[in-house]
Amino acid sequence: MTPQRPFFLDLRQIRLPIGGFVSILHRATGAGLALAVPFLLYALALSLESPEGFAAVAGFFGGWLGWLIGLGLTWALLHHLFAGLRHLGFDVGWGEEKTRARQTAWLSLVAALVLAILFWGLS
Amino acid sequence: MRRVGGAHRGLDMWLFQRASAVYMALFIPVFAVCALAVDTMDHETWRGLFAPVWMKVASLLFVVSLLSHAWIGLREIFIDYVHCARCVWPRLVLYFIFAVLYLGCLVWAIDILWSVQ
Repeated sequence: MTPQRPFFLDLRQIRLPIGGFVSILHRATGAGLALAVPFLLYALALSLESPEGFAAVAGFFGGWLGWLIGLGLTWALLHHLFAGLRHLGFDVGWGEEKTRARQTAWLSLVAALVLAILFWGLS
Repeated sequence: MRRVGGAHRGLDMWLFQRASAVYMALFIPVFAVCALAVDTMDHETWRGLFAPVWMKVASLLFVVSLLSHAWIGLREIFIDYVHCARCVWPRLVLYFIFAVLYLGCLVWAIDILWSVQ
C-alpha cells in the first residue's frame, strides 16, 4: 500500500532553506573529500620522501591549478567540519530552535568560505 | 544467543561516525597549529613534524578515523542513491571497492608515517 503523495523534484525550481543548503553541501563536500583521500596520501608520501618531492608538491600547490584545488579542498574540509559540528550540536539537542539553527547554518557557510580564502589568499 | 548481523549495526556505525568526527575535530586544529607555528616550512621541518612517536600515533589514529568515517559516509550515500530492486549487488560491489581502496590506504599510511625517522 503506497499512498499517492504529490511530489516535486525539479532541482532547478526547488528552493532549499539555508539549513538544507548547508546540509546538502555537507554531503557533497564529504563525498568529494572521500574521493580525494588517495591523492592527498600520495602528496603526503611525496612531500615526506625527499626535498625534491617536497618541492614538487609545493610547486604544484603554488601553480594556479594546484592553488584552485588546494582552495577547494580546504573549503570542503572546513565546510564539512563546521556543518558537521552543527549536526553534532543537534544530536545533543543544542541549536535546534529555528532562528538558532539558521544562524549556525549561515555561520558555518560563511566561516568556511572566509577561512579558506584567507589561508590561500595569504599563502 | 548469538546475534547474526542486523538491527544494531546501523546504530554502531552512527555512533562511530560521531566518535571519529570528534577525534578529527580535535586533531585538525592541533596539527594546524603545530604546522603553522614554524617560521618557514621546508622539507626538513615538515619531516621533523612527523618524527616524534606521539605524532605518528596521533596521525595514524587520524587516518583510521578519516578512512572509516569516509567509508561509512559513502555507504550512507550509496544507500540513498543506489537504491532500487536490482541495486543490491551494485551497492555491495561499491562497498567492496571502497573497503579495499581504504584498507590499502591504511597500510600505505603506516608505511609513509613510519618511514620518517
